Amino acid sequence: MSTIRVRSAASYWLAVPAAAWMLGVVVVPIMLLIWVSLWGGRAFSTASPLTFDNYAKFFANHTYIKLAFTTVGHTATLMAVTGVLGYCIAYFLTMKVRSPLWRLALFLAFIVPFWTSTLIRAIAWVPFLGVNGVINQALMFIGATNAPIEAFLYSKTGITLAQVSLYTMMAAGPVVYMLSSIAPALREAAMTLKAPPLVVFWRIVFPLTLPGVVIGQVLVFLNVMSDFATVATIGGNKHALLPNLVLLFYESSQIRAASVVAVLLMICMLIGVVIALRVVDIRRLGADR
Amino acid sequence: MVPAIARPQLDLELRGIRKRYGNFTAVDGVSLKVKKGQFVCLLGPSGCGKTTSLRCIAGLEEPDDGDILIGGKEVTRDPPWERDIAMMFQDFALFPHMTVAKNVAFGLEMLKKPKAVIVERVQQVLKSFEIDALANRKPGSLSGGQRQRVALARAMITEPRILLLDEPIGALDYSLRETVMLELKMLQQRTGISFIWVTHDQNEAFSLGDLVVVMNHAKIEQQGPPEEILQRPATAFVASFVQGNNVFRGKVLRAADSLLEVETPAGSFLVPGAGLALGSDVSFSVRAENLTDITGDHHLNRLTARCTAVEYFGSVRRHIFERSDGELLKYDQFGAHAARIAAGQVATLGWRPEDTVLHTGIAG
Repeated sequence: MSTIRVRSAASYWLAVPAAAWMLGVVVVPIMLLIWVSLWGGRAFSTASPLTFDNYAKFFANHTYIKLAFTTVGHTATLMAVTGVLGYCIAYFLTMKVRSPLWRLALFLAFIVPFWTSTLIRAIAWVPFLGVNGVINQALMFIGATNAPIEAFLYSKTGITLAQVSLYTMMAAGPVVYMLSSIAPALREAAMTLKAPPLVVFWRIVFPLTLPGVVIGQVLVFLNVMSDFATVATIGGNKHALLPNLVLLFYESSQIRAASVVAVLLMICMLIGVVIALRVVDIRRLGADR
Repeated sequence: MVPAIARPQLDLELRGIRKRYGNFTAVDGVSLKVKKGQFVCLLGPSGCGKTTSLRCIAGLEEPDDGDILIGGKEVTRDPPWERDIAMMFQDFALFPHMTVAKNVAFGLEMLKKPKAVIVERVQQVLKSFEIDALANRKPGSLSGGQRQRVALARAMITEPRILLLDEPIGALDYSLRETVMLELKMLQQRTGISFIWVTHDQNEAFSLGDLVVVMNHAKIEQQGPPEEILQRPATAFVASFVQGNNVFRGKVLRAADSLLEVETPAGSFLVPGAGLALGSDVSFSVRAENLTDITGDHHLNRLTARCTAVEYFGSVRRHIFERSDGELLKYDQFGAHAARIAAGQVATLGWRPEDTVLHTGIAG
């Protein structure tokens, strides 16, 4: 078998299809978006002068700024909840489920819902959370409440509930991978060096899975920051986050304003990813093992 | 169930340890006594239960049956972190996210020693294992020999009563092994810590162990000093596992004057022994160096066979013969004189009955 050297002509040619694809569907649209967000003047045309007026308008509006902070706060809540929950699930799957068959079955049970679209999964929460939904009926059946609780659907609680269910496995997946790559001998070595289980976890297992935790957090961060579908279906018209603002502007043909919010969202995400990369060097994942 | 009187002279005692995994019996009634400061080698083929026994001593496996005493204290159900042991793992199991110094300090940190004491002691140990230059490196950037030193330093720093070693030099380059073996033996003698060393390599076991424990099929076949295992194998398994033995199996034909005549597929031979019923199944062995091709009157056991190969091991010339029962017969000649037998030649080999060892062990 011959190998292709990294800097040979063949390697560049092989990269062409992927590069062309990325250029067409990622780079060019983003460039267009940035360009449109800078369009000034009254007419909506390519001849528009370039200006930062659209951004200035956004930052002058307190409602928008508040919305931006709400979005970041909401995302942070979700990262915390899915992070803890996801780690617990990952730990259970890799450390506590001994039979490989059970592990596969449980993992599939967690993964299969991801075969449907996010929108469908979000809508699936409506019959659960509604006034006559499954949760309310169950609560009334066991006598926990007399009247149905309206706070579930079309509320922030409902949005959070649904998003936790949607994104927990994104937080758990990378941790599952990292946990299963820890050699059992490492934990055993720590135990023979007089470390009780909690210390083994804190000193050995957790630090070794930290890259997985960070990657999971990045995934959740990116998805929640850009998730308008769940917010729209579960939150009704009462709640909105930054991505919904993009939709709102778009639907009212305010393409320049929509572009501004989209670009700002992208910058937020970029900052988040840069911070994550400073904590963990993803490219060096597993290099120490 | 344990007598109140402690036995301080024993560092470790195993009483009938048994461990099963489903239908597979990994350890079947292993009993062992390790005196203070003894170097014990558990020797056997892979899957014989030596590593499982070691893991039971460490507390990483819980035996289904039997007792484990460390320093006279019953610890059978105690977790690893409450036992007075340290362990060196086959692939060293260094913590990849910690520096060498942090790895070595780990055990002392767990013992909640004061910071200053830890720093000083780590410095000392790093120096004595000649790895002080590596203190701030991560295990990923170390060579096999360096990792081995770090693992040893990490285990020894807590000054355990017993150090358990699971194939500790198996992962090293062949050229390094002899040096490391000598160093470990000297370290053991200097510190007086009992070593329990698991290996499948008989050279390791015989050159290091004060006590060699040969295991097969989850049981102990024989335990004793290396010379005893080499010179007086107790079972056919031990004889065939240990290099340089010719093993024969047969039935007792006649018995007289503390000599047995045993009939084997390769012929009838005289073996010292008594008290066995005629017709009972026995096995015996004779070491390759006790054979000769210049037979005299006292070489009462004789066998004619064709030489198939001649091998050289330094000062030893080993001849491989094919026995009439299809098994191989090994004949070692010492000294630099010219070969008398070449491959393809037929020769008669003889040996004295008193050089023959009748296997008296029960297992196997």
